[in-house]
Amino acid sequence: MLNAAIESENEALSPPKMTIRDVHVHYGDIHAVKGVTLDLRPDQVTALIGPSGCGKSTLLRCMNRMNDTIADCRVEGQVFLDGQDIYDSQIDVVQLRARVGMVFQKPNPFPKSIYDNVAYGPRIHGLATDRDALDEIVEASLEKAGLWQEVKDRLDQVGTALSGGQQQRLCIARAIAVNPEVILMDEPCSSLDPIATAKVEALIDELSARYAIVIVTHSMQQAARVSQKTVFFHLGEMIEYGDTTQMFTAPREDRTRDYITGRIG
Amino acid sequence: MTNSTILVVIALLAVIAFAVVRQKSVAVVSGATDTLHSLPRYHGYYASLMVLLPGLAVLALWAVSGKTIVENLILAGLPDAIADSNAERLDLLINRIRLIAENGTGIETSEHLLAAAERFNRLYGMGIVATLLLSMGASAAGYLYAARKVVAEFRARPRFEKILHGLLALSSFLAIAITIGIVASLIFESLRFFQQVPLDEFVFGVKWSPQTALRIDQIAAEGAFGAVPLFAGTFLIAFIAMIVAGPIGLLAAIYLTQYAGPATRNVAKPVLEILAGVPTVVYGFFAALTVAPLFRDAGIVMGLDVASESALAAGVVMGIMIIPFVSSLSDDALMAVPDSIKQGSLALGATPAETIVRVLLPAALPGIASSFLLAVSRAIGETMIVVMAAGMRPNLTANPLEAVTTVTVQIVALLTGDQEFNSTKTLSAFALGLALFVTTLVFNIFALQLVRRYRQAYD
Repeated sequence: MLNAAIESENEALSPPKMTIRDVHVHYGDIHAVKGVTLDLRPDQVTALIGPSGCGKSTLLRCMNRMNDTIADCRVEGQVFLDGQDIYDSQIDVVQLRARVGMVFQKPNPFPKSIYDNVAYGPRIHGLATDRDALDEIVEASLEKAGLWQEVKDRLDQVGTALSGGQQQRLCIARAIAVNPEVILMDEPCSSLDPIATAKVEALIDELSARYAIVIVTHSMQQAARVSQKTVFFHLGEMIEYGDTTQMFTAPREDRTRDYITGRIG
Repeated sequence: MTNSTILVVIALLAVIAFAVVRQKSVAVVSGATDTLHSLPRYHGYYASLMVLLPGLAVLALWAVSGKTIVENLILAGLPDAIADSNAERLDLLINRIRLIAENGTGIETSEHLLAAAERFNRLYGMGIVATLLLSMGASAAGYLYAARKVVAEFRARPRFEKILHGLLALSSFLAIAITIGIVASLIFESLRFFQQVPLDEFVFGVKWSPQTALRIDQIAAEGAFGAVPLFAGTFLIAFIAMIVAGPIGLLAAIYLTQYAGPATRNVAKPVLEILAGVPTVVYGFFAALTVAPLFRDAGIVMGLDVASESALAAGVVMGIMIIPFVSSLSDDALMAVPDSIKQGSLALGATPAETIVRVLLPAALPGIASSFLLAVSRAIGETMIVVMAAGMRPNLTANPLEAVTTVTVQIVALLTGDQEFNSTKTLSAFALGLALFVTTLVFNIFALQLVRRYRQAYD
């Protein structure tokens, strides 16, 4: 029934940015993700919700192949970016990660200056031909991340000296700087206070016009505030997928309702 | 009977006290141990410490001062004619008396010396018996004190912990005090040296030739104490060692932390650390018998004049020895970089190599630098390899193919064999030791400072 819903939607809209087809992930003997099929639209925020250990972060890490860095992790099924299977042996994972950016749960700026943090990606990918072009990219990225006004006079200060919320927006700026098409966010606000959270959420909203965003979150309110689509996972299975408003007002599945109202988790 | 007999007796008393008081604490509450503030065994521990400590204190007092007391008694009993001679002669006399007392009469025939030796043995024997009785008495007093305290409310556990705490503090204090004592004696002897040789000659002089005349009329070298050639040789060898150990150690650390799988790492890391456990004397003959001839022969083939005790051979082997220092400490520094930073770099599409060069190494740089500094200070202080593989002749050169000597080699040379204790030559060893100590201390402090700053960055 789920697949049918997705198929019917496909006809109405532009082609999806990423398509996930029957993905299974194993960590050794643990079956962490059990057959997920999902489409991500280019101009939408998709929230992945579910109790801890339900496989939502694992699925997120399949989309830029960060799972490759885990020794005994095995991914089955297919993940397409613009119709191209990212698990194909021809795919350059370095290129893939430049197109699919990621923001982590805990802000992880490099122990370098603010400028170098943002310039890091453009430099390794050779996006700027000279210093001026690089300056422009850095400014534009910080601007988009809503951090420019706060840091423009101290770009040479070390990024780790910023506050938690600023650090997280710096990490977002860093991800934007390589001009990705998809941004994956793994509980980006879980270590931030409410004010910093509000700023990051506003930023996500703004960015959703340009990038396909997938966000993993434990906060129902956050999912409701920032996303257009929500996916509910439980024990590695995708239980329900739908419009966020529908999901939070009239969930189709009992388990979804139980989770949203706090009865399982 | 000896001091160790007394030690055994006190230990036995302590064990007995433990058993008895433990029983007593149970009996006091008629078996209802839950009404005791502390568990029965803590009453036992407390009692055994109360027995052990006073007894040991008496024994320690005797062990330290017993012989001196007896000696003074003997001296007082000697005929006035002998007792009036000067201090050095008395010293000699006492030594002879003790020799007779401990090893039998031998060829000694002097009546009063034999009598004195006999007296010595008698007094010393009495001293031991007295010590035994006194220490048992002290232990008994401790026991009575502890036994009287056995009531339900007695807080034996906190008391015991407190005494234990004191003993631990005492141990660490002793370790520090001994270190300070060693440094102080080093400084003291060095000051005596610098009274004879001006400091600026030692620090800036470029000639080291410590041969001084033993007698006033002897024909011998004047003696020159310029330490520059020694330190130059030391630093040359340490530099060569770092050229070997720095890159290999660092690259090994990078491989082990970033590329090697857990299986490789679990084998390779301990094996690498075994290198640090090879006795330096083994490296020494490896350098002297294998590497040095190899370099010399290679030099002949290439038309180079390589000394058979070249700085290069000693430095290369020393480099091999300190590889584990660099690799193990750099490994720690790299492991201390949070994994999230590495992930962040990879997620931006950086390759593992880019991540290492651009993010991990800069982040771990203070730790890596401090590992290098610690390795350098180890190389500077290393003795055995250079004693066996480096030369003896002070030589101020930067050519690694020549033989050079090091500070440690010279200290060994100065203090090996018979030496006159007050001569400038012998004292110069202390000055060298002090200079070496200060040098390595500076390196170590610098390295620790770096590590400290580095830790702050991630807290």
